[in-house]
Amino acid sequence: MAELNGFEYDVVVVGSGAGGGMAAYTLTKEGLRVLMLEAGRDYDPIEETPMFQTNAEAPLRGTSNKDKNFGYYDATVDGGWQVPGEPYTMAEGTKFMLWRARMLGGRTNHWGRLVPRFGPYDFKPKTRDGYGEDWPIDYDEIEPWYDKTDHLIGVCGDNPGVDNIPDVTEGVMQPAPEPRVMEILLKKACESLDIPVVKMRRAVMTEDKGDGRSPCFWATNCGRGCSIGAAFQTTTSLIPFAKATGRLKVVTDAMVKWVHTGEAGQANAVTYVDRQTGKDVKLKAPRVVLAPSATETARILLNSKSKKYPNGLANSSGQVGRNLMDSTGAGVSGHVPAMQGRPRYNEDGHTGNHYYVPWWGYQDQAKGKLNFPRGYHFEFGGRFSEPNIWTGGGVDGYGKKAKQAVRDKYGSSIGFSLRGEMVPNENCYCEIDSEVKDKWGIPVLKFHWKWAESEIKQVEHGLKWGEKIIKAMGGVVTSPKRTGEEAILAGGQIIHEVGTTRMGDDPKTSVTNKHGQTWDVDNLFVMDGGVFVSSPHQNCTITIMALAMKNATWMSKQIKRGVL
Amino acid sequence: MTAFRKDIDRRTSMKWMASMAATVLSASAGTYETLAADAYGEESSTWPALTLKRITGPGYGTDPDLVSPKTPWPLTLSTEEKLLLTRLSDLICPEDSGGPSASHVGVVSVIDEWVSAPYRSQQNDRMLVIPGLQWVNEEAQRRSGRSFLDSSNKQQEAILDAIAYADKGFGEELKMPKRFFSKLRQLVFGAYFSSPEGMKDIGYMGNVPIEGPWPGPTREALEHLNTVLENLGYKPEPIPLVQE
Repeated sequence: MAELNGFEYDVVVVGSGAGGGMAAYTLTKEGLRVLMLEAGRDYDPIEETPMFQTNAEAPLRGTSNKDKNFGYYDATVDGGWQVPGEPYTMAEGTKFMLWRARMLGGRTNHWGRLVPRFGPYDFKPKTRDGYGEDWPIDYDEIEPWYDKTDHLIGVCGDNPGVDNIPDVTEGVMQPAPEPRVMEILLKKACESLDIPVVKMRRAVMTEDKGDGRSPCFWATNCGRGCSIGAAFQTTTSLIPFAKATGRLKVVTDAMVKWVHTGEAGQANAVTYVDRQTGKDVKLKAPRVVLAPSATETARILLNSKSKKYPNGLANSSGQVGRNLMDSTGAGVSGHVPAMQGRPRYNEDGHTGNHYYVPWWGYQDQAKGKLNFPRGYHFEFGGRFSEPNIWTGGGVDGYGKKAKQAVRDKYGSSIGFSLRGEMVPNENCYCEIDSEVKDKWGIPVLKFHWKWAESEIKQVEHGLKWGEKIIKAMGGVVTSPKRTGEEAILAGGQIIHEVGTTRMGDDPKTSVTNKHGQTWDVDNLFVMDGGVFVSSPHQNCTITIMALAMKNATWMSKQIKRGVL
Repeated sequence: MTAFRKDIDRRTSMKWMASMAATVLSASAGTYETLAADAYGEESSTWPALTLKRITGPGYGTDPDLVSPKTPWPLTLSTEEKLLLTRLSDLICPEDSGGPSASHVGVVSVIDEWVSAPYRSQQNDRMLVIPGLQWVNEEAQRRSGRSFLDSSNKQQEAILDAIAYADKGFGEELKMPKRFFSKLRQLVFGAYFSSPEGMKDIGYMGNVPIEGPWPGPTREALEHLNTVLENLGYKPEPIPLVQE
């Protein structure tokens, strides 16, 4: 037990987002006392979320710029693709984008809330197609933790009975909203092409759970955060729930830079920079859970060098920073002339996809019919969304005719966002830049990135099928013709970076065991996306949380048994 | 020197036209710049060679107040520019049975805020809009010897007709005026339709809280969808008899 200002604690949790929030929640529920260190400022979504503010009230009609990369109302505080004074670097020829947020709750305050589980295929990719590595766990082992996590955070969705979309136990999920008009058209079009379209599982509550949060009232974009708690973020749920146990203390503006070890090689302290004063603070740490994000975990470990650990902490395998993955990303857009001037109604819904297109090619891949190994899904946009400064784009002329043309076009455009799986490759990793430090004096990460041919081919498949779907909807393709190489987005741009401290069965090729416990240091755990062995096309956050819950439960058992 | 050029009178302008004159005023330096005759033909006025300074300085920062938004940078357009923008905005987006005119809902102030913002993208737009406004005036002078605002409605529309259509006026000399107009039109319609009146006009019905499950598409919306589905050869969607 260590102590800070009268608060005694068993575990230091670094980070307050999906992984850190769940780790702190689980540990405190298990009776342990947790000190949480968050690099960003304190944040109160009840006071700070712009729930009904319109674009007209915001500077520049709310449009994005270098200060607010996802628009004025996006919840991200002091962050985005660049954090002032906290750079990262790239090797020559690399294009990598790293999204960070400097706030309590981290990126859970603005994420898309898409929570598809990884399926049985996804935990054994190497067995299936020979690429990458298998996870040290399988779907059956994690399934109960998915159920517990879905139930705790509040997820709406259903069981569509589609290949590699596991059924969720009855009673866990809440009802998901019906489709919008364009989504019905999407479904009909895809059925004609033999492609599934299913309800999207989202971490949005549609019914009251009696835990202080309110169900969705079908308005205001989830990316702003959600003051009523319907759209999941740790700042309205896991952190206050953990605080209510009386066993959580949160320190904000605490940017951890080192984990210290004692004679026996165990973690025994952390040093953080107090961002208010710029001063280093060293705290005792009986046990450490790292969850500041996959890349930041790698940075802390690699910077935590000592005589005993000259290559960085928990890095005897040399794998820390390696196997960095993101989702592939690309877009295809179109316009459906027959939908021009369609009857108006309120299409906000839960402001995300009600329906989407899951990957449909598993069996074709198993039969060797496709020239790339892993799948993707399409997220879909096409609704009467709040008008913005771009609403008048793409019309010709001027005057009454042009004004009417804008009205007619409203709600007739569609867009597909491809999100796919990449296979880890040796050209994608991060390391410590030997020259550059941030304004706190902490050496920064240097990224290396190169998409492999398999990802380029996957994107080319997606571009082709995106266009097919648009045509089957009676639409015309409006995005330019591109090769896969031209269309694929930058590494990191989908904000699903994972894999830098992967788990495994073999200490030589992995950083942690299947419990997220580092092989080299017993009392040091990783509970963010760093532990991912592969990066399935299904969005990563729900699996970060389910693993954190599972592994924090195991950790607490070890502590209670006195072996940790 | 302001962007407006009231000092060019009709006679001067006629003289330029008559002689295929090779001089235009460089507003920034106040000097005459010689241009090749083929760049300043009878087709249209030359794109003004302004040397505009980009507006820099702090924006609203990475942690602004989201609940009570404020625009911290000063507005920079001159009265003349705003008057000209008012007329252009209303030519682009006039009052009709669906809603008021652009200027009526404050579009000119939005554009002023836009081109005055210390961000790269907005400053790129400023580099189009300010010279574009000057071009419009010079073109009016060239055509009728009057400023744009002093020209007749017909003359004003004739100028817009030359730059407002993608498939008309392919001449190199109209490349920049057309880019300017395309940007201005996007800003005017964007600012108009995102205003409270414009949102009502376009029929945006969201941003209101709803209790209970999401109600889904209306009967009318589904009936319209079914005609689309049938035309594509797809099975129509069953329409619920009762809708909340």
